[in-house]
Amino acid sequence: MNSPGMTSARTKPAPLNKKDTRETPDLSVEIAGYRFKNPIWTASGTCGYGEELDTVFDLNRLGAIVTKSITRQPRPGHPPPRCSEESGGMLNAIGLANVGVDNYIAEKLSFLDGYRIGVIVNVAGFSFQEYIEVCSMLADCPRADMIELNISCPNISSGGIEFGDNAKEVERVVSAVKKVFPRPIIPKLSPNVTDIAEIARGAEAGGADAISLINTLIGMTVNIETRRPTLSNNRGGLSGPAIKPIALSMVNRVYESVRVPVIGIGGAMNCRDVIEFMLCGASAVQLGTALFLQPDLPVIVERELKKYLKKQKLDTVTELIGKLEKY
Amino acid sequence: MKPIISHEVFLTSRRDLKNDHLLLGFGPFPGAASIKPGQFVHIGFRNPLAFYRRAFSIAGVNTVKREIEIILKVIGRGSYQLSQLRAGEGVNFLGPLGNPFVLPGKRQTALMVAGGVGYPPLLFLAMHMIERGYDPKNIVFFYGGRSSEDIVDRARIRKLGVRFLPATQNGSFGERGMITALLKRFLSTPGTAGSGENVIFACGPEGLLEAVDRIAAEFETPGQLALEAPMPCGFGICLGCVVPLKSGGFARVCKEGPVFDTGTLAL
Repeated sequence: MNSPGMTSARTKPAPLNKKDTRETPDLSVEIAGYRFKNPIWTASGTCGYGEELDTVFDLNRLGAIVTKSITRQPRPGHPPPRCSEESGGMLNAIGLANVGVDNYIAEKLSFLDGYRIGVIVNVAGFSFQEYIEVCSMLADCPRADMIELNISCPNISSGGIEFGDNAKEVERVVSAVKKVFPRPIIPKLSPNVTDIAEIARGAEAGGADAISLINTLIGMTVNIETRRPTLSNNRGGLSGPAIKPIALSMVNRVYESVRVPVIGIGGAMNCRDVIEFMLCGASAVQLGTALFLQPDLPVIVERELKKYLKKQKLDTVTELIGKLEKY
Repeated sequence: MKPIISHEVFLTSRRDLKNDHLLLGFGPFPGAASIKPGQFVHIGFRNPLAFYRRAFSIAGVNTVKREIEIILKVIGRGSYQLSQLRAGEGVNFLGPLGNPFVLPGKRQTALMVAGGVGYPPLLFLAMHMIERGYDPKNIVFFYGGRSSEDIVDRARIRKLGVRFLPATQNGSFGERGMITALLKRFLSTPGTAGSGENVIFACGPEGLLEAVDRIAAEFETPGQLALEAPMPCGFGICLGCVVPLKSGGFARVCKEGPVFDTGTLAL
């Protein structure tokens, strides 16, 4: 495997009978043929391209970093105000501000070269063509271990309906990018749909190697003095602990509906939340908004997760995945 | 990039500055000696009343005790929670964050323009300069508010030996009118404008910064503006606290700022 951060389970099978070769308890998880050193990842849009977060803690402590959404062209993003604070979370409408894929490859991606972590590049697009172009450019970048597809974008050619709204569209876009990107593709599902399981099955049918969920929930708040929405974009994405129960429910639903691994996202603020996601079926959990409140949280979660496993007398964190005891 | 310190600090001192203004000291903070005026700390609470952390400009440092001072006015949930801290209680400091003011030349006159609760970083700047051998007579401290109550901490400002020029909108303290009108009058003195002898440093409400930006251009005087913005992360990852640039696009207040040169922002 060309990635310095991970060993491929396909080429180098894990020594299953020799437990003593791994740290106990073992936090590593296998997803789409890759072994990540732990299930603690950072979520797209909450860790930039890695540079800033590395000034707070050593990024090598992460299982993987999921970088900010990249589009074909650079985007300045929405004018301020872009964020507003709510009880139990925040609304944001950054507007997919990013440097564009050319600059990303030329200037940003190499920052992660020396790190032994999974690098998952989040890709957004406003047309099929855009997803295909960006993903095929990343195909030539071995450091981009996997792509997470942000399908919560309006498709300009179908009147602005989000790709992620329709299972058939999701299947089409996933299978299209699978043809141009030789490594795993992880579609990131939007929770703003009627039946998340149907969308997940569409993603799986398109060839998704894993599925991550949930993206933010669409929301709005109003300043009653000015009678204006609190965000310049009027609406924004709600994140933070307020959305965790919705995320857990959807992660569990998707876990029971598809065979590919599920990555949990949505309001995880501490180790306890991470464990909840794993019990609901997540093979890894992305920390997002929580990083704004406590940027070194991944390091704390890693330590507490080990403690929890020891206390539960579990050798490996994988023993938690999907072990929810339902009524 | 320099590492950011995330550190548990404790409330070590508290002084009432009147009109809901408080001066709070926190320590020990290992990076205290390296802090420069214009920088800020992002404060996190264990059980926050608000959701985000709260950014506060640094109002002073005690390098011996490794303590940081902040000055706040109780307005919202964050400042209220800080005001309720008891001696010895802890909060998390992330910092020092942001770019500091660029110090003027020793012979230049520093025109500090403070509006209301925007004065703390400028007071720190004045103290920092004087400690480094700047002549206090080359510092003019313009300090404006709506009324006398808004002009706090007067004794410390006077003690520095700087030229103190306050103004209030209702005339209850100092000159009557906007502080920026006073700045404009100062720069209108024959031979002052464009002489290269003055540098403006401003911090305060948006209207004040806008006016200072215009005045700096009009009088061809260099200037630096310290901005305030709600900040989800405080160190550049969320892109939530941006301000539009004249050259197009946006800059992050927390990362490219909070101090910006006059003439660069589309205010």
